[in-house]
Formats: sequence, structure tokens, C-alpha cells
Amino acid sequence: MDQSKQREDDYGYGLFPQRNATKYKKGSIAESLLTFNHKCQVMLQFAMETSPYAKLLLGAMKSSGCAVFKERHFSCEDCDGTVSGGFDATTSQIVLCQNNIHQQSHMNRVVTHELIHAFDHCRAHVDWFNNFRHLACSEIRAANLSGDCSFSNELSRFNFGLKQHHQECVRSRALRSILAVRKVSREEAEKVVDEVFDSCFSDHAPFGRIPHSKKDAKFAHRDFENRDRYYANL
Amino acid sequence: RHVGSGGPPRVCDDYWSEFRHCRSVRNRFHHFYTFGTSPSCQQWKEDFNSCRAWEKSRSPEAKESLQKSERGRVAEQRNFTPVWELRQHPPRDWHLPLDHGNPPDS
Repeated sequence: MDQSKQREDDYGYGLFPQRNATKYKKGSIAESLLTFNHKCQVMLQFAMETSPYAKLLLGAMKSSGCAVFKERHFSCEDCDGTVSGGFDATTSQIVLCQNNIHQQSHMNRVVTHELIHAFDHCRAHVDWFNNFRHLACSEIRAANLSGDCSFSNELSRFNFGLKQHHQECVRSRALRSILAVRKVSREEAEKVVDEVFDSCFSDHAPFGRIPHSKKDAKFAHRDFENRDRYYANL
Repeated sequence: RHVGSGGPPRVCDDYWSEFRHCRSVRNRFHHFYTFGTSPSCQQWKEDFNSCRAWEKSRSPEAKESLQKSERGRVAEQRNFTPVWELRQHPPRDWHLPLDHGNPPDS
């Protein structure tokens, strides 16, 4: 990673200033009192235990050989700007922006979104740093499958649209995510998203469907739990 | 447990709950929002009927019909060309302990 200091692109690491140096010593009282660290930890635990989206992804990762341990694979940190979270492939960690996530529903969505990246990292040879198509694909999937683009979320962003609006949302959020972490022109990013959109929008693993709602996610989780019986009897 | 027992791929009630969920107003809205069309739910109902027939009378037609339907679903979920290559093994460094304070090796 020393080479990256010479390149223009910081791969988005600038958004997560605590990746290499924390302001307060980890586990210190200062950290607990002066940051949102504790609240983040509590919300994370709740998400992992109760969100059917998260539970399915955690189960799928475990069966792929990437069991997730909260202390090892999640990190609550202060981040720049308005970013909510990220997946750090070099350390196999999901970063949660404790200063930008204040509601449980938001935490659930961020955890799901980042777990999708982690899941992709676990099951495929994703070249996060050099292959734009791979990056775009995972961002399309995360926007598609995490509830990022649910009707109510879009409404709250004042994005009104009905017929097939979901797909427009997925496209634009994937684009936004790419532009946030890579130094690339909007045109180039759009081109890459277009190239891989059909394939990646159709890849619903591990859900087996696009979970539009918690109920969809519960059904998908049920299917996942019953997968042995299912495939044995096809 | 039914693993490899030669029974239906799902518990029959699951087909019925999928059918009802498919036809719900919320789901129809979500489907339109995502695909611009109405969902087609009839297959779930047929699968439920096949499932019950399979369980009750071991009907070979029902078994065949249900398996065909489910294989179709599996095929639909695989109907795309992946952008990346799937791994044979998980990433080697997934479980390695973190090295606090030291820059990660590339």
C-alpha cells in the first residue's frame, strides 16, 4: 500500500481518517464519552441479531468460509463528510461511521450494504482497486439488495418516481458510490455502470430475490436456512 | 428432516405463503416500482397444489411439475454472465488478526 501515496487516487481512504490513526485510544473512556462509539456498537449488535437482511448475509458468509466476528470484522469510527460506511478489503473490515449513523434503521441498511461487499469479496475474486467493472458491480448489487433504493428511502430523499424507479435509483447510487471513492470522470463511471448493469442487477446472491421489504428478506432467510433440503429435492 | 428424502423441495405451506405474499398489495407495488410490471403469482399456487398432491398420493405428475417449476426458478436466478470469477476458497487473510499501528502489506 506504500505505492498508493504516490498515486493521485487514494481509493477513498481519505474519507476514513481513522483507518490508520485513531484520535482516542481504542477502548478508552474518552472514546466512549466523546464519540458515538458505544451507540454505534449497540446498534450494530442489534442489527446483527434482528435484521433478516443481515442475518442472511452473515449465514451465507459463514457457509462460504468467511465467518464474521463483530470485534474483528466491524469497526465503528468517525468519518469525513456524510459517508455512512465502507468495506476495507485490505483489512477485511467493515467500517461504520459512528458520527453519521444515528438511527437503527439506517444502521441496518448500512450493515446490509457493507456485508454485501464483504460477501462479494468472500465468494469472488473481486479486484477492488484495479477493476472498475468489479467495483461497479458490487455497488450495483449493494444498492439493489440492501433496501437503499426502497420507495420510502427514495421518497425521503425527495426523489419521486414510480415505474421502474428502483432501477434508476440503483444506477445513480452505484454511480455516486464509485465517484466518492475513485478519481474518475462521471462519464467514465456512467459507462462502466452501463456495461455491467444488466448482469449485476440480475445477481441476487445470497438472497435469491430482490428483497423489497423485511418480509421479502425473512422469506429469503427462510429459503437460505432450508437450502439443503431444497437442492436435495430438485 | 427431509434432506434427500425424495419429498418436495419446500414445506407445502411455504408455497402458499409465497403465493399470498406475491399477491399482496405491498408486493405488487414493489414489483411495479422495480420492474414496471405486475408480478405473476399463479405458479406459486400451482406449486402448492402439486406439493400437496405429491405429499398425499406421491403423484409422479405432481412431482414432475413441481420439480420443473423449481428448476425454472433456479435457472432464472442464474440467468446472467458474471462479471467476476468465483473463488474456490475464501480469501486467505479474512481471519488473520489485525495489525494495529503497522501499515498493511500490499
